[in-house]
Amino acid sequence: MKKLGWEEVRGWSLTSPYLIFTAIFFIVPLIWGVILLFTNWNLISPHRDFVGLANFIEALKSPKVHAAFFTTYKVMAIFIPTVLITSLGIALLVNSLPRLKGLISVGFFVPYLVSGVAVSLVINGMLSYNSPLSPVFRQLFGYVPDWFGNPVLAVLVISFMITWKLSGYYALVFLSGLSSIPKELYEAADIDGAGWWTKLFKITIPMLYPSLYTVMILAIGLVFGIFTEPYMLTGGGPDLATHTWYLEIYYQAFSSMRAGYASTIALINATVTFISIIIVRKIMERWGKAHGWT
Amino acid sequence: MRKGLALLVVLGLMLSLVGVATIAQASVKVTYWTAPNPTQEIFWRQLADKFNASQDKIHVYVTAMVETPTSEATITNAIAGGKAPAASGNIFPGFGATLVNSEALVPLDTLPGWDELIQKRAMQDIIKSWTFSDGHVYIFPIYANAMLFGWRIDILRELGFNEPPTTYSGMMKVGEALKAKYPNKFLTAREALINPTWWQRWFDFFMLYNAASDGQPFVTGNSVTADDAAVIKVFRFYGDLKANDYLLTRKATNPFETGLAVWRDLGPWSFPGWKENWPELKLGETFVTAPPPLPDDVSYAHAKTFADAKGLVIYAQRSPEEQAAIWEFIKWVFTDPINDRAWADATGMLPMRGDLSTNQTFDNVFEEHPELTGYADEMAYAVPAMANDKFADIQTALGEKGLIPVILGKKTPEQGWADAKAAIEAILAR
Repeated sequence: MKKLGWEEVRGWSLTSPYLIFTAIFFIVPLIWGVILLFTNWNLISPHRDFVGLANFIEALKSPKVHAAFFTTYKVMAIFIPTVLITSLGIALLVNSLPRLKGLISVGFFVPYLVSGVAVSLVINGMLSYNSPLSPVFRQLFGYVPDWFGNPVLAVLVISFMITWKLSGYYALVFLSGLSSIPKELYEAADIDGAGWWTKLFKITIPMLYPSLYTVMILAIGLVFGIFTEPYMLTGGGPDLATHTWYLEIYYQAFSSMRAGYASTIALINATVTFISIIIVRKIMERWGKAHGWT
Repeated sequence: MRKGLALLVVLGLMLSLVGVATIAQASVKVTYWTAPNPTQEIFWRQLADKFNASQDKIHVYVTAMVETPTSEATITNAIAGGKAPAASGNIFPGFGATLVNSEALVPLDTLPGWDELIQKRAMQDIIKSWTFSDGHVYIFPIYANAMLFGWRIDILRELGFNEPPTTYSGMMKVGEALKAKYPNKFLTAREALINPTWWQRWFDFFMLYNAASDGQPFVTGNSVTADDAAVIKVFRFYGDLKANDYLLTRKATNPFETGLAVWRDLGPWSFPGWKENWPELKLGETFVTAPPPLPDDVSYAHAKTFADAKGLVIYAQRSPEEQAAIWEFIKWVFTDPINDRAWADATGMLPMRGDLSTNQTFDNVFEEHPELTGYADEMAYAVPAMANDKFADIQTALGEKGLIPVILGKKTPEQGWADAKAAIEAILAR
């Protein structure tokens, strides 16, 4: 057996905390989750029965699972473009500042640190029927919008809340990307007479490919894990319009006490997430290749 | 000199450590989880402090269980993680049934001193309805609130009504008069009526259903035994309220307290908070309590309602020593009626015991808490929650397939109930 050298020991000692963390909090629960897929365990009973593929069949037929699937893509359709535009906008704005860049970018990052529960409570109060904002809406539109009773508005509110929360975080990723774009490219473009928009679309965005790639993957993954906002504000309604994967997993595991079935939905969620991320990766890589990235 | 001082300090430290260790060994440390309610938490903490000071063998820690997402989920997580407390409160019969089926609870009637405790509290009759099908009692009932409806009597008087209506048609008349005078007010504002969260059905559907059906059980064993006609009447009533714009199903902040709505379900736990935050709400002047309204075509002598009844349990996961220790604490708390009186004063809820009207300790409780009188009067007509371990799925289906689509005008009351009943039967057959 080959003796480990100093380099190997150092490498293992540096990576082992993460490997141990992954083993405890990812691999063990994953194995346990896979075992549960085929049972009707209720999370606390000492007994559980093997139910074969019954959980899969039920989940694939469930209108709530279907609703979770479609809600994710509805939110994605609103969240991804808005978060890309706002976070890139913030990054460009902060990058153009002559000083205090760090302080201001931290200011935009604060929403990411705020508790989703607290934000939901504030939004709940702001958009309630008798909130101080209601007279303003009555004055402007002649009525108070039914923010959480209308399926379209409810999805919009949740999407914008998540956009607000994440924009500052993603802006930091873009900010680091912006700082690595060579100034010479813009100087050459200036000599050629390129305007601000031309430089944005022909230089900045293509050169931000690595940051865009990261943000897209993070954002897509995040949409599949939305829980707090719909849980606090809509409970998945109206008519399952904001019912998400995690809401369904939570309700099945902790309200209906069906841990086996909830594990099945979690596995389906993970599979759909994985496939969606693979598709987005392929699209992004093709776009990157078209702009000279390999 | 310095060496001597250092030696003294080290010796002192060692002695104090030995002392702490001795106390730690002498005490059985147990945890009691209270309901996530500040008044209940304070009540239990004070009693635990007294109990801990009265002896040195048992030390009781009191903490409030986490409310988010729900107290049931918190307990489930704790059991699943092997971290259940020795005992906890806030357990209703349905969740109790789930815990019993999962062998998570200690049968309390097998513990020493059970019969004496029940006798002292005159609970022999009460405890019969808390006995499970295996003949054991797993939940010690602490309180039961006969749920009532609150009415903004000040606004009703402005509309020309001196008493709250008692029938559905009477409710519609109030709604009509209210809209004529105050177009922006509502008879009731309850966003939860279009939210499928299972426990919300206790406070909107079951209050009215128990009245309309004279308390007919909704589910018995694995069968739906609900009074079909009564369910349809309740569905139609809520559908009519919505169709006439008497019902607001949007989020609204304190709609009853601010006078946006004049009718709401009202539990006695609201009163301590009202005293602090809404002192203008006074019984008889601005609000009154009343039993649920009845459909026009029934003539029961007294409307039944829903009983929000909760109790405490001891968890089987803890060691026999811990179970015995927490049982000693529970007996100590519930043997002295002074503690029950303190409970009523602190929480605004009536304790569950059979001698409330005869025990002198409670003589002036209604003089000091006149708002509780209505709740005490209705206790005989209050029906507890279903003791079925599929309670959450049943009540979710009731909302999703029946009540909510009817309120939103997507189904007729008959169709709504047919769909909900079929869904509940499928859940029971699972």
